[in-house]
Amino acid sequence: MAGRVIVITSGKGGVGKTTTSANIGTALAKAGYKVVLIDTDLGLRNLDLLLGLENRIVYTIVDVIEERCKLKQALVKDKKNPNLSLLAAAQTRDKSAVNADQLKEICETLKEENDFVLIDCPAGIEQGFQNAVAGASEAIVVTTPEMSAIRDADRIIGLLEAKEEIKSYKLLLNRVRPSLIKSNDMMSVDDVVEILSCPLIGIIPEDTGIITSTNKGEPIVNDENALAGKAYRNVAQRILGEEVPFLDLDEPKGIMAKIKNVFAKLKAKV
Amino acid sequence: MEKVLAENGFIIDLSDAKNTTQLVFELSSIMEHPEVKGKDVRLKLGSLDLKQSQLLSIKALIESMDATLAFIDTVSEQTEASAVSLGIVISKVSDTVEPSIVCTPKEEIKEEPVIVKTEDERDSEGKTIEVHAGEPTNPIETASGVEDVYDEETTEELSEIIPSEHFDSDFELLAKNEGLLKPEETSKYILLDTGDVLPESSEENNVSTETLPTLYINQTLRSGQTVSYEGNILIIGDAHPGSEIVASGDITVWGILGGIAHAGSQGNVTAKVRALKLNAIQLRIAGLYARRNDTLNVPYVQKTNEFTPEEAQIEDGKIVIYKKLRRD
Repeated sequence: MAGRVIVITSGKGGVGKTTTSANIGTALAKAGYKVVLIDTDLGLRNLDLLLGLENRIVYTIVDVIEERCKLKQALVKDKKNPNLSLLAAAQTRDKSAVNADQLKEICETLKEENDFVLIDCPAGIEQGFQNAVAGASEAIVVTTPEMSAIRDADRIIGLLEAKEEIKSYKLLLNRVRPSLIKSNDMMSVDDVVEILSCPLIGIIPEDTGIITSTNKGEPIVNDENALAGKAYRNVAQRILGEEVPFLDLDEPKGIMAKIKNVFAKLKAKV
Repeated sequence: MEKVLAENGFIIDLSDAKNTTQLVFELSSIMEHPEVKGKDVRLKLGSLDLKQSQLLSIKALIESMDATLAFIDTVSEQTEASAVSLGIVISKVSDTVEPSIVCTPKEEIKEEPVIVKTEDERDSEGKTIEVHAGEPTNPIETASGVEDVYDEETTEELSEIIPSEHFDSDFELLAKNEGLLKPEETSKYILLDTGDVLPESSEENNVSTETLPTLYINQTLRSGQTVSYEGNILIIGDAHPGSEIVASGDITVWGILGGIAHAGSQGNVTAKVRALKLNAIQLRIAGLYARRNDTLNVPYVQKTNEFTPEEAQIEDGKIVIYKKLRRD
């Protein structure tokens, strides 16, 4: 079996790449697929914290590359879901410890035995980004409805388009606050989609539960009641090819229709 | 334990110390004060027997604080022999020099920092801490009245920073803890099933870590920083989560250990990891790895007066943590 390798990237830091990786990975694993998460943010790793696996890491990706251990040894199994495992980044090294070819090779090996390989990309467009993207064939670009994040996402999409290996890329709009959109203080979803002209894969509402879940090391998709958790589960379903309508984010009727409209428009484009 | 200001240095009287642990603790608590920097330190060691390695460690501790060890005063033959082999000068802090060293004459006080003296309530055991205030606040007229004037003020000041009760019981107990140690509930750490994790070149051994050299690090280790050393490592400061300490001997953190610690990295099964607060995300001793229990709730911020020194070692193929008992 050959799994799909998806890179989760954004350009700008702090928009929720790692949170997205952890949640989509957990959601896919819950749906019964074998998932490996790779943290490529060497020196500033966080994915292990979000999954609550920090205390289980013995070997990291650098140990695999420098052949101090086998790839299998370095995979840390999730506490709850045996389908999910993590290949952690080294905290005590920097981006130069890994090169694109080595990461590509790891992805090739991992996708043989897994349905999904999700790569958590570091912020920036330097070597860390180049490494993370090297092995992937699909990309999810995370952005927030802020001008700075959108500008960076635009730059990233440009770089992704230039890469032959990336067959498709989708946009995930994070930290959306319907009340602010309503009062015209935040860009609306279709504004963002129009600026970036990129197909949308998910809209995640701002949720204070994310803070708690990050601190606890428990992805929010495990919380059945959280709105953000539901949104991430929907993203996972869309990755699996199902058609799931976008969440109604407590907005007046108009916006829902708008979003649907946008989605329909995009589908027509693709 | 006493520290007295000399013309260009200090005499530190440690002849009350009952064992090396206590000695090192008291010495380092004195050495923490910034005014010791750059000064000569004269040590009064009393009858304590010190091995060469212990004496070397003490010297290194003094030098790590930018001070120099001028000479030592000892009545122990073993300490004397150790000092001779290390080239440390042995001399006597004789009573006749005392007047010029003890800082009471008027003219000296006007220029030097004022000596203040604090005594906590438990002075029955002869425990006295003398602290030098940074700047003299009042012009001092008569030398004889000085100590009394500052006595009360500083006692108050100090007790705000370190509650004297904690200070006393914690440090004294640590020194005498040999008989009081008790293994902590084992749920704090869980052994990881990692197989053989030691480098191939290393073999299991039980060389006494006391004979190994020690690396002193006088700073806080932050996330991503690594220290590795062939010998013991002593960190005066915290080791934040994400940091890594690897030593072929013991690891001692005089602060909160939150990162990864690997003692006995070459296979030494007698190596220990000790810290004022043992929160290590992973503990590794020789070939054994243990991870912190997921159910363990580590607060975001540790209060400094909640420290209970802990020590981890291998016992019957397991990592066991000993916690110092609090005397209630």
